[in-house]
Amino acid sequence: MSETAVETPPTHDHYATLEQQAAAVKIALAIFLSSEALLFTGIFALIVAYQSDWPNAFHVGIGHNTKILGSINTGVLLISSTLVALAVDAQREGRRMLAGSLTLATALLGIVFLVIKMTEYAKHFSDGIFPGGHGHFFFEHPEHGLPTFWSLYYLATGLHALHVTIGTGVLAYRGVMVFKGSLTHSLEAAALYWHFVDIVWIFLWPIFYLA
Amino acid sequence: MTGAKSKAVSGSALIALAALSFALSYAHLGHASIGVALLIAAFKAVIVGAMFMEIGREKASFKLALLAGAMLLATLLAFVASDVRLRDPPPLPPPATAPARGI
Repeated sequence: MSETAVETPPTHDHYATLEQQAAAVKIALAIFLSSEALLFTGIFALIVAYQSDWPNAFHVGIGHNTKILGSINTGVLLISSTLVALAVDAQREGRRMLAGSLTLATALLGIVFLVIKMTEYAKHFSDGIFPGGHGHFFFEHPEHGLPTFWSLYYLATGLHALHVTIGTGVLAYRGVMVFKGSLTHSLEAAALYWHFVDIVWIFLWPIFYLA
Repeated sequence: MTGAKSKAVSGSALIALAALSFALSYAHLGHASIGVALLIAAFKAVIVGAMFMEIGREKASFKLALLAGAMLLATLLAFVASDVRLRDPPPLPPPATAPARGI
């Protein structure tokens, strides 16, 4: 396979130029990401409000969380975000093989993230920590507010994992298309989505694992 | 600095900042720990937005759409912050033996 740029794609009927079409995609993506940010900010606001009510319970909850696994996942997402940014650069320069490899590596790191996340959930379940304050953990640790901490944890990280799953699927599909030379459009939209997922985790990590 | 090199440097800076957050979590900063951790997180988010998403190089229409979202976020956070600060303290837990259920 050669390292040449793909052919310029045709525009859809309702766009005069390719630039106009790309700008429209970008605006739509900005609006979509803004709405996603609102969704996650609503959850962040909930966390802040409950943490101010029950700081000790949140402190206990963080103390029982899987800090090392969560921190490894932070590294995984930061590296993946770097790789997909490099993939966009490689595609701009017409280096198709490199762009495809970096995109697929990003998707692979997305899978690694999800495997680690599932490992964390399995550990929580074995410790008797279930959403809604169910499980023997809450009988052994009856602090008021602790069930709320863990419910918010499952809500926020579960929703984020769903986004990682979608992003991983999109990047894997795009990566294969880049390799095959059948992706005629930029990787930018998928990369922007992945960076957004990264930013959400950048804030979830200190709130649920570090503070 | 080339695009690839600046992105690699940015990625290294992100990892270094994450390591700093991790190390500070053992420093027992008390109530300041969450503030410090979120400050570092905000700095990391700015690096991702500026260097990886290249928001500064986007067209005005893209920035305007993001700005509208940012203003809505700020409004939401302002209302939540004022609510948390001004409302009455939460009721004490009932004197039951069973643990309270969450949301």
